[in-house]
Amino acid sequence: MKRLVVARLLQAAAVIAVVVTSVFVLLQFAPGDPFAASLEGTDIPPGVRAEWRARYGFDLPPGERFVRWIGALAHGQLGYAASQRRTVASVLADALPRTLLLVGVALILGFTFGVLAGLLQVRHHRRWPDRLLGALTLGGVAMPEFLLGLLAMTWLGARWRLFPVAGLASEGDVNAWPLWERALDHLWHLALPAGVLALSVAARVARHQRAALLGVMQEDYIRTARAKGVGAWDVLRRHALPNAMAPVIALLGLAMPSLVGGAVLIEKIFGWPGMGLTLFDALLARDYPLILAATLLSTVVVVAARALADLLAAAFDPRGLRAT
Amino acid sequence: MRTRHLLLAALSLAVACRGRDAGSAGGTLIVSVGADAETLFPPLAVASQGRVITELLYDKLADIGPGLNTIGDVGFVPRLAKSWEWSADSLVITFHLDPAARWHDGRAVTARDVQYAFHVWTDSAVGAASRSWLSSVDSIAAPDSLTARVHFRSRNPEQFYSFVYALIPLPAHQLAAIADTSLHDAPEVRAPIGSGPFKFVSWTPRARIELAANETYYRGRPKLDGVVFSVAAQGATVAAKLFSGEADFLEQLSPPDFAQLPAHADVRAQAYGGFDYAFLQFNTRDARSAARPHPLFADVALRRALSMAVDRVTLVRSVYDSLARTAIGPFSRTQWTADTTLAGIGFDRTRAARMLDSLGWRAATEGAVRTRDGRRLSFVLLAPASSRTRQAAAVLLQEQFKQVGVEVTIESVDFNAFMVRAQRGTFDALMGAMRTTASPRGVRDVWGTPGPDRGGSNWGHWSNAVFDAHVDSALAATGTAAARAQFRVAYQAAIDDAPAIWLYEPRMFAGVHRRVHITPLRPDAWWSGIAEWSIDPAQRLPRDRRAPATP
Amino acid sequence: MASRTWQRLRDDRAARVAIVILGCTVAVALLSPWIAPFDPTFQPDPVGLRLAAPSWRHPLGTDVFSRDVLSRLLVGARLSLGVAVGAMLLSATLGTALGALAAVVGGWVDWLVSALVDILLAVPRLLLVVALVATFGALSPVWLALLLGGTGWLTTARIVRAEMRDQQQREYILAARALGASRWRITWRHLLPAVAPQVTVAAVLALAAVVPLEAALSFVGLGVQAPLPSWGNILLDGSDYLTTAWWLVVFPVAVITGTIGAALVLADRLRTAIAGQEYGR
Repeated sequence: MKRLVVARLLQAAAVIAVVVTSVFVLLQFAPGDPFAASLEGTDIPPGVRAEWRARYGFDLPPGERFVRWIGALAHGQLGYAASQRRTVASVLADALPRTLLLVGVALILGFTFGVLAGLLQVRHHRRWPDRLLGALTLGGVAMPEFLLGLLAMTWLGARWRLFPVAGLASEGDVNAWPLWERALDHLWHLALPAGVLALSVAARVARHQRAALLGVMQEDYIRTARAKGVGAWDVLRRHALPNAMAPVIALLGLAMPSLVGGAVLIEKIFGWPGMGLTLFDALLARDYPLILAATLLSTVVVVAARALADLLAAAFDPRGLRAT
Repeated sequence: MRTRHLLLAALSLAVACRGRDAGSAGGTLIVSVGADAETLFPPLAVASQGRVITELLYDKLADIGPGLNTIGDVGFVPRLAKSWEWSADSLVITFHLDPAARWHDGRAVTARDVQYAFHVWTDSAVGAASRSWLSSVDSIAAPDSLTARVHFRSRNPEQFYSFVYALIPLPAHQLAAIADTSLHDAPEVRAPIGSGPFKFVSWTPRARIELAANETYYRGRPKLDGVVFSVAAQGATVAAKLFSGEADFLEQLSPPDFAQLPAHADVRAQAYGGFDYAFLQFNTRDARSAARPHPLFADVALRRALSMAVDRVTLVRSVYDSLARTAIGPFSRTQWTADTTLAGIGFDRTRAARMLDSLGWRAATEGAVRTRDGRRLSFVLLAPASSRTRQAAAVLLQEQFKQVGVEVTIESVDFNAFMVRAQRGTFDALMGAMRTTASPRGVRDVWGTPGPDRGGSNWGHWSNAVFDAHVDSALAATGTAAARAQFRVAYQAAIDDAPAIWLYEPRMFAGVHRRVHITPLRPDAWWSGIAEWSIDPAQRLPRDRRAPATP
Repeated sequence: MASRTWQRLRDDRAARVAIVILGCTVAVALLSPWIAPFDPTFQPDPVGLRLAAPSWRHPLGTDVFSRDVLSRLLVGARLSLGVAVGAMLLSATLGTALGALAAVVGGWVDWLVSALVDILLAVPRLLLVVALVATFGALSPVWLALLLGGTGWLTTARIVRAEMRDQQQREYILAARALGASRWRITWRHLLPAVAPQVTVAAVLALAAVVPLEAALSFVGLGVQAPLPSWGNILLDGSDYLTTAWWLVVFPVAVITGTIGAALVLADRLRTAIAGQEYGR
């Protein structure tokens, strides 16, 4: 077991190092820096822009810049996000909780409903619930997220006014409201973006879950259980589901990066300025301290989540664990 | 949620009945914008969002009048300066500051603030925009705390306008202690203390900026309680907020937004003069090396032939329907220098084809791309991904050029990359747009020969001596009639030489919620009258009621 | 065993329908330059025919530049399906190969593959593509397929590895091992067929994911450049007119959904056919 932990840690360190370095190298090919187009229209002489570049280290050769960044990182300093004119730490402190909330809620809802839908489909295999859910999940998979988002915003938001169109909170005398009401308002604003994401996730999970369950349901031990008179739901719940969770858990592991990377288009459409939008804008502005910090964060989360997913898989299927 | 609204209404009613004056004051204006402000520091806030907000936070010494006159001081209305006098030789202007003017923290606005602002604006370490506008100012003296005496080195017709528009008094007591080089990202600059009708409350980056009415504003408290700028990153969302009732004002309705207007009864469109014009700009220098002339576009005849091949009327009708007019030249019709009688190149496809033939560009077969000496008549058109209308215009242009045997590839890049490439000159042609100002001087920066003392916005490196000479004369002319005559010659030279294909001038239509009473919108600054706007008390929404904000 | 699978598939009505639909779509896509009624970039009348509702002349209406939507969908299918199929094949192959390697060889190979997965996982796909486009400029469809395929194998690899490791514990594998079968033989004859159902589903889902991804790229302005039509940028053009020109959105969505739906049904039936027996029958 100890060997496993050490191997995992080494792997984690290697992965983080490779990702961050590759992103940095990639950025060097992209022309521009945050100061090139910032404050366009101003009469900032080239000399002054050059001075700003020098102040934030943009004029150094790439290798030295990278080393400096790592050095600063070692002291716990994430640097300065020139494209937003504030520290990287404050940018992340704003954006990360928003994305965690959005994607977290979407993933929880999506996976729950996806697994349930898959179960329902198999329980009523080839009957109308199966077909109906199949059609719905097909729609969820085929439709691009941004289109779903735009449709939801236009109809549910702007036309029928069931939900707010965008933003983190309502305007108005929010500070005078009690905390519970503010929280409720925040959730109301979360409803559309998280809902659209959850739909997308649920559709994919449902399809995977259905396929996995159907595969398991053909096993002999299932037939034995049915022959013994175990009810259909019990069979599904106690025998089939645990054995069919492996691919779904794999999916969950794969969805982890979006907890940090965010859902760029949904955030863009619904005015939810989280990590996805931040990283996207940072990429376009070539703001490398921000990009690197966000990438680092994302990698750490991925590595941690992967370990968690592996543990969960082992918990569901002890046979797999014994083999390692 | 309906119960929540009822609850809210009941609460608000209770609050309102506590004796707060609910006359014509009150209400919060929510402005839906598509981008966050980059900075709220006046010397650097030129990009539209930052500028709108700084002009609400900071008052100028004097403001331009509704006639938008920029010559002399005719029509200018007093702001921080209650009055001013000219010396006999017009080289000294003495401003008398309003003794009632206060900064938002209560301190008085003094001449020292004007001096400090001058220092900041002219310091190259700060890199202020419009620094060149102050080049003729020699110094500012402060004989007493309410008098600022400005000494000029030279006279020019727009002397007054340049000065009061470039220089906005800054709170020396807040900022003087900070080194100039650190000003642009100092924390004080993120929580500005201004002198204007609205004061700063909060800034949630990428989300919203909130301003509240300045209760002790020297010209009278604004009728609104506050203004909130609500940021949305997506064009469709910006308009959707207006339609759903989450915002009250939108600066410009795009053509797709207009199509949705009939379905929403509580939003109306308000027309006002526009100052924008869009064009396809040719690069007269080689995209790979600025020292060499462009293999295609250095030739005037080719540029003219290409201009002739474009059916601008159809293009404008298609992209904008009736919401834009065809552009005439490097100016906007709303400017006082505009001349609608100028002779454009006109649309004539057959003649354009013949011109191309005569230049040696022949098509091997019908509908093929023209070639000359083995070189194809083909170029790359750069368009910013951020502007849907310019993208649409580019697609239409591509097809129109195809009809005369010219092959155009559209390269759509993000705005940052677009600006970088424009500034570096690494493009063949680009879809550009200019927002002009009340003053016509900008045309020299954009279309005049780039020089060491001029701004560098002439990305296509076009140079025409006739144009330069006449624009200089026009800007030095003493009367509007003389200036107009000079501008006419200059504009005609620009149209004939075709450094760009002048495409369209969008009409400006703002989207306004019906409960908001607005003043006429100034084309160069729609926000200039916000202090006079009000919200109909009978139609107030729950979100209009708020307790006085504490910054 | 394979012939029995095909036999079962042939007998399956739903599978036959799906194959026909997919076959037609692919055929139409390949033949589109010849069967499209109009040139997809042709703008007959950018003012008069702008956003025209479906009519006899233009059965699916025209878009904002008066281009025929039907023609654009047909020619766009070529591009979008080409990119999607290319990406799918690449990602399925890579994913299966790497997943199998990780599961069967184990040890440091497993470590390496999972490190590779984590590396690619750390950056969301859209952002990776955005970064590449920002760096190298607009991507051609071929590069787009390579890129999307090269980053889309993670799901497949994960599933293959998980499933194969699971299968490796089964009695029949242990028995085969005891009988002296080589690892290669076991992989080829037993493990790969065991994961084939999951892989097909994953591959089809990967296919299904490429089209929206390509649309997303167009949405942020970095996708296939005008005037080339792709399903993605047709959707983008239509997204501005959701409430006023429904044909710009409804028809592309119907086509995309139909194609992906047929592919998913086929995958489902294929999985059943391979398994040989079916739950509920």
